Amino acid sequence: MASQTMAEKILSKSAGKEVHSGEYVWASPDLIYIHDILGPLTYDVYRQMNKGKGLYTGKFVIVHDHIFPPKDIQSAENVQQMKSFSAELEAEFIKGGEGIEHTLLVERGIIKPGQLILGGDSHTVTSGSVGAMGIGMGSTDIAATLALGRNWFMVPDTMKFVLSGEYPEFVTSKDIILNILGKIGVNGANYRTMEFHSGDGMKLSLDDRLSLSNMTVEAGAKAGICVPSDEIFQHYADIGEEVERILPDSDAKYFSQLSLNVGDLEPQVAMPYSPDNVVGVSEVKGIELDQVYIGNCANGTLSDLREAAEILKGNQVHRRVSLIVVPATRNIYKKALDEGLIKILLDASATIAPSTCGACAGLHMGVLGKGEVALSNTNRNYRGRMGHPGSRVYLSGTYVCATSAIEGKISDPREFA
Amino acid sequence: MKGKVFVFGDNVDTDVIAPGGYLHLGMDQLLVHTMEALDPEFHKTVRHGDIIVAGENFGSGSSREQAPMVLREAGISFIAAKSFARIFFRNSFNVGLPLALIPDISAIGNGHAVEHSLENGYILDIVSGKKVVIEVPKGPLLDILNSGGMINFVRQELEKIRGKSGSG
Ligand code: SF4
Repeated sequence: MASQTMAEKILSKSAGKEVHSGEYVWASPDLIYIHDILGPLTYDVYRQMNKGKGLYTGKFVIVHDHIFPPKDIQSAENVQQMKSFSAELEAEFIKGGEGIEHTLLVERGIIKPGQLILGGDSHTVTSGSVGAMGIGMGSTDIAATLALGRNWFMVPDTMKFVLSGEYPEFVTSKDIILNILGKIGVNGANYRTMEFHSGDGMKLSLDDRLSLSNMTVEAGAKAGICVPSDEIFQHYADIGEEVERILPDSDAKYFSQLSLNVGDLEPQVAMPYSPDNVVGVSEVKGIELDQVYIGNCANGTLSDLREAAEILKGNQVHRRVSLIVVPATRNIYKKALDEGLIKILLDASATIAPSTCGACAGLHMGVLGKGEVALSNTNRNYRGRMGHPGSRVYLSGTYVCATSAIEGKISDPREFA
Repeated sequence: MKGKVFVFGDNVDTDVIAPGGYLHLGMDQLLVHTMEALDPEFHKTVRHGDIIVAGENFGSGSSREQAPMVLREAGISFIAAKSFARIFFRNSFNVGLPLALIPDISAIGNGHAVEHSLENGYILDIVSGKKVVIEVPKGPLLDILNSGGMINFVRQELEKIRGKSGSG
């Protein structure tokens, strides 16, 4: 058997034969999941293809997370449709408020290492955090897979990223992925898989991995897979889930290789209107802000809430700025309460919103008006992403977000006294 | 076929094609807002038979299928770009909006009248008189397009499978 990358191994398993990059294969995923705003279209299309259960035999999960609580009649009806859909196909329906799908399904162990996963959302790549191959697809592709039990895939080339070194103060894995995006661009991994290795004793926590994998789609990647560590496998053993131990071969063939020493990084910021428009924070200091947003599927983790609280403790958010904090799941929210983080954030005059996509996609609860400027630890800052096409969004890690919320302008946490 | 051409640059993303804030309001609302961040007049001037020519990575961003759908509904016959974002590429064929690759877009002028043919693989800029060759994909994608999109393709496949298991 010729040596293989993570993507080649996972697709081989799901296709039932050994495959290599460049081949087209039919494969059957282990898990399919969709959400409340792109889901209704899937349902529509599915009904045009098939009635009742299709040929798909894997797990199917529907999560209500994007517009929760429903903000208008239309969004409420979307959820009703999703409930009917899950009843019809015997899917698991996860009600609103439990959490944002990509984070929640990892937290619950529904997403497992080595799986092939399809999601109706582009950030399905986030499942790469635990060594799964998560691929985002459109509603019709999802419906087709539910009906046929399989879909066609091109086995992608893989770009290898080797991370090493020690994080400088206030630098996190968000800065790693922003820095990589700045280097390779929004088209830099189109059709390919990004595979992350940590070398030289560098450790990546699960939260670090969520943040890394999540933004690989911003480089156009088909999947963004972190090679799972023993700790990741141990985590699944601890929660009583059996998983396959799929790791890349040491002599696998890669399309390219890039090494990055995190010790060389300063906190990064992506400027409007593209997540690859990246500079060091020192170059954008002083830009005045109307809103700061800390949350979303990648960076609404407990680590992020700890980082926010570390900075905000004993401080006040600037009077001109609204700081909205969104714990990615109910469970993270509860842990943050237990640790006293929520109190610190509230004392600093932050607003804690329920676990929902909300303002991250310009849907509700924090939509920006014309000319407004936001700093956000989310993943996209395209024109109009968080509201009016004339608003502007900067992206950064949580430390920069929290410091800037206090100062009322983009600020460098390293200079914050 | 004749129409006019809208020329856009690199990285036209799905938030521009189908803005998130209107997604849940249905196609009629999306049609009014499609491409508005780049061309506020787009929805008023686009006509059936028009085409889009663009640079690299057209359709980057979200997996929302409403993006190719809204352009198809707006009347766009096909999009020719230097490259497409992966999910947009799949979605377009699935919803029956053809895509083609175009190596060089410099010969095509924004707003110009064009004559175009996917079958014969060219765009002729009637104003400048220049003709550009475009590459139309083959293989499974063409099967899906020829079935009229993924919905029909799946129906036909299911019929085949169920027909077989029914008789055997
Ligand atoms: S939190 Fe934002 S990026 Fe994540 S799934 Fe929701 S809308 Fe998408």
